Amino acid sequence: MKSKKYSEALLNLFKKKGFKVKEFENIIESKIIIERSGEIFKKSLLSFEDDNGKNFSLRPDLTISACLDYIKNVKRGIYKYAYFDQAYRRTFGKESLVRNQLGCEIIGSSNLQLNTEIINLIDQSLKKVIKHKTTIKINDINIFYSLVDSLRLPSRWRLRLKRHFWRHDYFKELIMRLESNSDLQKNVFELDKKSYIKMKKLKKNEKIAGRKINEILNRFEKKIKEPRSNINGARVAQIIRDFLNISCPLENAKNELKKFETKNKINLKLNQFDIFNLKLKNNDAMFSTNIGRSVEYYTGLVFEIYKKSKNLNLASGGRYDNLMQTLGAKTKVAAIGGAINYDNILKL
Amino acid sequence: MSKLIKIGLPSKGRLKDESLKVFKKNKLLIKDSKRNYLSEIKNFSLNEVVFSHAREIVERLADNSLDIGISGFDLLKESLPGIQKNIQVFSSLNFGFADLIVAVPDAWIDVQTIADLEEISFEFKDKNIGKLRVATKYPNLTNDFLLSKGLTQYKIINSLGSTEIYPFTDQSEIITDITSSGATLKANNLRVLKDGNILKSSACILVSKKSLKDKNKNKIVTSLLKKFN
Repeated sequence: MKSKKYSEALLNLFKKKGFKVKEFENIIESKIIIERSGEIFKKSLLSFEDDNGKNFSLRPDLTISACLDYIKNVKRGIYKYAYFDQAYRRTFGKESLVRNQLGCEIIGSSNLQLNTEIINLIDQSLKKVIKHKTTIKINDINIFYSLVDSLRLPSRWRLRLKRHFWRHDYFKELIMRLESNSDLQKNVFELDKKSYIKMKKLKKNEKIAGRKINEILNRFEKKIKEPRSNINGARVAQIIRDFLNISCPLENAKNELKKFETKNKINLKLNQFDIFNLKLKNNDAMFSTNIGRSVEYYTGLVFEIYKKSKNLNLASGGRYDNLMQTLGAKTKVAAIGGAINYDNILKL
Repeated sequence: MSKLIKIGLPSKGRLKDESLKVFKKNKLLIKDSKRNYLSEIKNFSLNEVVFSHAREIVERLADNSLDIGISGFDLLKESLPGIQKNIQVFSSLNFGFADLIVAVPDAWIDVQTIADLEEISFEFKDKNIGKLRVATKYPNLTNDFLLSKGLTQYKIINSLGSTEIYPFTDQSEIITDITSSGATLKANNLRVLKDGNILKSSACILVSKKSLKDKNKNKIVTSLLKKFN
């Protein structure tokens, strides 16, 4: 069977590099996911309640399962996971509820060499198993954040653009709003002086629906003071669009970005990024500012691997240094991982 | 195949009274019945009128145990996609008007739009005080709306009634709810956000798509619907 042949071959290659093949618990407490991602991911969960009213879900994603396993069983140090198993998500079209996931994760280290290790491992393993040439696309999401920080924007807009970078459609809408300055009109905000003066007399620590009076007044005052109409939204939107169109061989990436800096009179602080120094075994590596935007928890380096001739996605992954803490780890635990696009491999 | 068609009408309140008026106005006489929940139209071919909860009418139309029904547009849109795809809206009626809205406490004077709410939701997240809680009887419509407006960091609290008091009893921070005049919201110190209109609703005549496809029922259903034109 083609499926078994590929999965066994890939897992064996991962094992040879020190990865341990693990099986994870099928069921996780839904609260863990909802507290982390809010309602946006809850819709995808296949969940049920037990007799005590506790809500559980079938595991929706094996990266999350690996993280939970680390928190429960490993707790400290570096652990290299490999897995081939099923994840379950509610579907809204013809997609199957069951997804086969084959991947590997290195949890417990922020060592930048691991970035290279994991990309090389997945890329070289794929090459050996599928016997096709591959091309790698790479990005570091922090370069986009650096761009946003360099632009003349209200702090609220900066946060908004960063928070929603991974949501393609909504991000487009945000850029359009920015372009038309529609969010910056003075009349959107009306000064409610009467309430403001009344609230000034209240105890500052008193809470109304979970928020202290003090917090409400501070934010209100900040909003009045923040400049709203003198932002060149159209220019900023154009810079962001141009940035997201940058795509070039990895070896030219720094130069391309420097040209972009000069043209737009901005400083991306490029020296802080290690992406330009990656030692990849595959010479066919592209830098693209627009990749790795489909997963919310990525925090830095992201990569996608394609079959060269067909531009067929074979794998993707990235660094997720904040995920562990949001899933319950007591301290920050850095991690990086990647998943094979198993359905596409079976199409080869 | 049965030629009997089943009509679902709301079982109580203004929705029931106004639905009966619509039938009367269109010269369809619903028989007075000793049984509270079953009746029939006297001057129409073989039929049965079933009085049910408005939410149930939507579900029964979807599984085709009802053929025609009157219910709220909001309840139809709140139902799952698999239910909605089995129901056709025949027409909107001139009653049961209400808006589904997002409301925040009046005292949150710094929050005027969903964009403000989005910032507040991240403040909650960053301070590790949990997610912003949104109480609602309409979790599906609320989710679709809030996610489309950029709000992601929140948690739905399902409410079955008195949703307006949730923010002041530490059960939620904000709410989404149905309002017609806004008086109840005002009385409970709540305010609708400027861009917080989720859905405009009214009562509707709804038809089960399966009944329209059924050769035997189609004629009867269509002839009944014609009476409402």
